[in-house]
Amino acid sequence: MKPLRTLAAGKLKGKLAIAVMSSKGGVGKSVVSALLANVMSARVKTLLLDLDVHTMASAKLFGLEGRVHQVSKRGLEPFPFGDKLGVITLSGVVKDRWVLLPGANQALTMESLLAYSDMEGWDAVIFDLPPGLGDEVLVLGRVSDYLPLVVTSPSKVSVKVVEYLLKFLSETGKRPVLTVNMAYYQCQGQVVRPFGDGRALKELTERYGVPMVELPIDPELEEFVGRIQEYDGPVLEGVREITRMLER
Amino acid sequence: MHEWSIADAVIRTVEQWAEGRGRVKRIVIGVPSISFLDTDILTQAFDELKVGTSLRDANLQVKIKEQTFTCQLCGRRFTLKDVEDQVGEVRSEFGEEYPLHLIPTLSPSFIKCPSCGSRDVMVDNQDVTVEEVIMDETS
Repeated sequence: MKPLRTLAAGKLKGKLAIAVMSSKGGVGKSVVSALLANVMSARVKTLLLDLDVHTMASAKLFGLEGRVHQVSKRGLEPFPFGDKLGVITLSGVVKDRWVLLPGANQALTMESLLAYSDMEGWDAVIFDLPPGLGDEVLVLGRVSDYLPLVVTSPSKVSVKVVEYLLKFLSETGKRPVLTVNMAYYQCQGQVVRPFGDGRALKELTERYGVPMVELPIDPELEEFVGRIQEYDGPVLEGVREITRMLER
Repeated sequence: MHEWSIADAVIRTVEQWAEGRGRVKRIVIGVPSISFLDTDILTQAFDELKVGTSLRDANLQVKIKEQTFTCQLCGRRFTLKDVEDQVGEVRSEFGEEYPLHLIPTLSPSFIKCPSCGSRDVMVDNQDVTVEEVIMDETS
């Protein structure tokens, strides 16, 4: 019997679950997760659950460093942003202290965070996963039939590494949406692709039959670290396209 | 307050397991000592949450599981008593809902080996477990 797992699965039952994931680190999963949560919260009550227990980037993005979650009879109460957006992060348990854990502890800590979060009344849960193909993917798979949103940068090495994840997801029968972060920028009306023409990506999407959304580089986005919920630039427009893809 | 989540987890788990097996009389659970759960609150939460479930006649017994820590660097094995000053510091910094109370598997981030100071520490008995479910034979 696995009490933590049972509690987590029970809380997630009937909710829309989206896992923002990548086998490569540093591609912008947390930013995409935060913006996706913000876009979705315009329509449904959306909870962002940061499962990256080592970096806890959502706390930095939303300006939650040093704040701790209240604990009620239903568990860790989300940090609210208006009525329809909430964030839960391990940072709100350890007060933004560093976390270094052996592998087995990492999985159990993620499972605990899932089990002890108060999700009552939230329609959708977005999981910001740590990079890699390990416990994070397995833990979530045990408690939720999630929709995968795979994030990559256009760099060839990232595309090659992300193919591992697409292969795995395809084997498990899941149909991900692929997001290419930092794909291009606009300069004097021209689209500039600093990482090349994206041929490798096009081949990848054809090989696995996955839809793809490209997100632009917006230097202004950096100004919103600490108040990401206020950002309303061109990257957010791309994230709106992602939600349309996920609905299909 | 965290004890309510533990009680919720135990009820959901045992209810699922006991479906079609008969009436449950007693449930024995093990909780890690480092979490300093209040067993009275845990039992009270269980008694309130079981109302209206198939476990309404069941009683809860809580066992505290002592933990052994093993330093992966120098090999020292130690117990909670050996690091009670470290745990005390964390409790006084965070208060009642301190991190190891909520998520005991975080302990390697908060506890150092008392001999060599390494954080590379393995811990056993870290999670809440259902140790025993005793059925009502008369049902």
